[in-house]
Amino acid sequence: MKPTYFASTALCLALATPVLAVETTDVLNTYADIAAANYADSLTTAKTLQAAVNALVADPSADTLQAAKSAWLAARVPYQQTEVFRFGNAIVDDWEGKVNAWPLDEGLIDYVDASYGGPTDENAAAALNVIANPSITLSGETIDASAITPALLEETLQEADGVESNVATGYHAIEFLLWGQDLNGHGSGAGNRPWTDYAAGDACTNGNCDRRGEYLVAATDLLISDLEWMAAQWVEGGEARAELTADADAGIAAILTGMGSLSYGETAGERMRLGVMLNDPEEEHSCFADNTHNDHFYNGVGVQSVYLGSYTGIDGTIVSGASLSELVAETDAALDLEMRGKLSDAVLALGRIKTAAEAGFAYDMMLERGNEAGEALIMGGVNGLIDQTRSIERVITALGADGIAIEGSDSLDDPEAVFQ
Amino acid sequence: MKRIALAIALTLPAISQADPVVDDIIDAHILPTFETLAAQSQTLADVAADDCDPTSDALRDAYGTAFDAWVSASHLRFGPTEADDRAFALAFWPDSRGATPRALNVLIADEDPIANTPADYAEVSIAARGFYALEFLLYDSALMTAGDAAYRCTLIQTVTADIATTSQSIIDDWQTSYAETMRNPGPDGFYRHVEEVRQELFKALSTGLQFTSDTRLGRPLGTFERSYPARAEARRSERSSRHVMLSLAALQDLAARMASEDADLADALDASFTRALTQLTDLDDPTFAAVSAPQIRIKVEVIQQSVDTIRAIVGNELGPTLGVAAGFNSLDGD
Repeated sequence: MKPTYFASTALCLALATPVLAVETTDVLNTYADIAAANYADSLTTAKTLQAAVNALVADPSADTLQAAKSAWLAARVPYQQTEVFRFGNAIVDDWEGKVNAWPLDEGLIDYVDASYGGPTDENAAAALNVIANPSITLSGETIDASAITPALLEETLQEADGVESNVATGYHAIEFLLWGQDLNGHGSGAGNRPWTDYAAGDACTNGNCDRRGEYLVAATDLLISDLEWMAAQWVEGGEARAELTADADAGIAAILTGMGSLSYGETAGERMRLGVMLNDPEEEHSCFADNTHNDHFYNGVGVQSVYLGSYTGIDGTIVSGASLSELVAETDAALDLEMRGKLSDAVLALGRIKTAAEAGFAYDMMLERGNEAGEALIMGGVNGLIDQTRSIERVITALGADGIAIEGSDSLDDPEAVFQ
Repeated sequence: MKRIALAIALTLPAISQADPVVDDIIDAHILPTFETLAAQSQTLADVAADDCDPTSDALRDAYGTAFDAWVSASHLRFGPTEADDRAFALAFWPDSRGATPRALNVLIADEDPIANTPADYAEVSIAARGFYALEFLLYDSALMTAGDAAYRCTLIQTVTADIATTSQSIIDDWQTSYAETMRNPGPDGFYRHVEEVRQELFKALSTGLQFTSDTRLGRPLGTFERSYPARAEARRSERSSRHVMLSLAALQDLAARMASEDADLADALDASFTRALTQLTDLDDPTFAAVSAPQIRIKVEVIQQSVDTIRAIVGNELGPTLGVAAGFNSLDGD
């Protein structure tokens, strides 16, 4: 029975293939549609955050601070899924540092605990504290910071002195302003900034509450304008969409480059494995809010969505169409099955971290030296991501990317261009 | 064609796909490299057991020889070096957040008993393990004198013993299983085809070149507006330039073996490596300390360009010759 069944199935597929043939351009359009929807969702949730931040600054209270925190957490859900559009699309890479740069030397922005230390070999501005100082000195130059504006953050403070950990803008700067430092080490609990850090007059704690509010509003306004810009690049006629679809093979290579680079070098490596090996509670992506489990989980979901050509939006709208999965299946059905299996396994493994974290076993607790259960949880996610990267490499080979993937890879961009 | 190849592979799983290029690289490049690392690391641990004075010539010489062996192996980041985080435990660098001095200071201040045995020490943060942590203990003026002298002595002995254990584990894995894994790809193996084995070796070469260009040279170079001599690798022991030299020499050997089926390509690669190495010798700045001076900066940039020229030949010519795509590496990301 079995061989017969197999043969007839194969026959059906063979007959059906011409009808079902997947067009590369359709796959690229689905991808761009998903990007457009995903960045639009990121913008929508950021606007909710902006309203909550404005309410906090206008009427500071424990409730308005909590509402702003909740809005920040919700905003991360769509944004983390967009990270799969990095690495393959230069337009996203050139922009991404404005909104999601990490890790940061938060002493640049506001007051920090004594245990933080001061300036370091790497970063002279690590403890600059612009909120407390209307006049600051950067690279030997005196700067008027009496008004904290989006321009000051974006043009002067961001990557000040050429140091990447001088992060003045984006989600993580806002996260720090809402939560404050997490001083619990490997113990339970996130940052615990009092709402009175935004209070008026004598009720103000830790000084400069008006400037802190000014900073928070400016950083959130910038996040909105940056997300508006990126969302516009992916709609019909947008530049990111045009670049992606200009050359069909290069477009497919860009998709795969993003999937592989986010899975392996970025999430599995820099963000997850390094933290386990360093046992450092600060080595987590959202170290102030203790939201790291969601950061990694939604990265995994984003990679999967791109491959399957189906994205579920924040209001439940599903954007779907011709997929990379179908394209691979036409060439090598077994490989497509393998790829889908690996993506599911990785999302499941990342989901285990999320499950444990939401039940109270926070990511920074998992990172503690000798915490074997925590290490096993995190390494399960790391191994899932590394494993799926091997299959992504097989997909690149199977689709015969003709060396296009080499050019598209972040690490192998034309080396001659370095000095141009 | 693809379907036919797959069918043959499925029908004849017992036929091994011997690849003379792979065999040569394993026998003449990989195994000797890790044998040397294991032997020199054991010598370092033995010397430290007798003499833990950070200023001792014997200890510093043994350290230098063992560190040389690591740098010559540092591009071979797959399989046995990645199991149990061994390569990270030997070599955590770059350390842009200062985790190494911070972790060592905490251990010394607490006189943490975890440093009493190498077995326990394997639990410690990678920032406090390996050659780069040992450099702080032997050459950093603050850490050489921090806390209790007896504890520091124990710490040096334990770190060196931990290095020896880790290095031995790597060569053990290569000898007992991983060499065979690479020699015998198959449908159920870790490598399914010989192309995947070649891709792994190709990635080691291209990633090694990228690390030397972007990190060993690129970190101190910084941008045109601002250079960062304090970010040079192992500057405290004045090994920065030496590491570029050692890594290029090791990569030159690997590249020659990978290009052995194409004499013209092998010659072009050899000439490009020789050019970079000659420029480095002429620079004569062990720690890139003078990189902020325009005339020195230009020389370091020229060396970096030469390494990038090698990368271009590897990516554009060697890859297609071997029939492999670039794949992903741990430096992807930001």
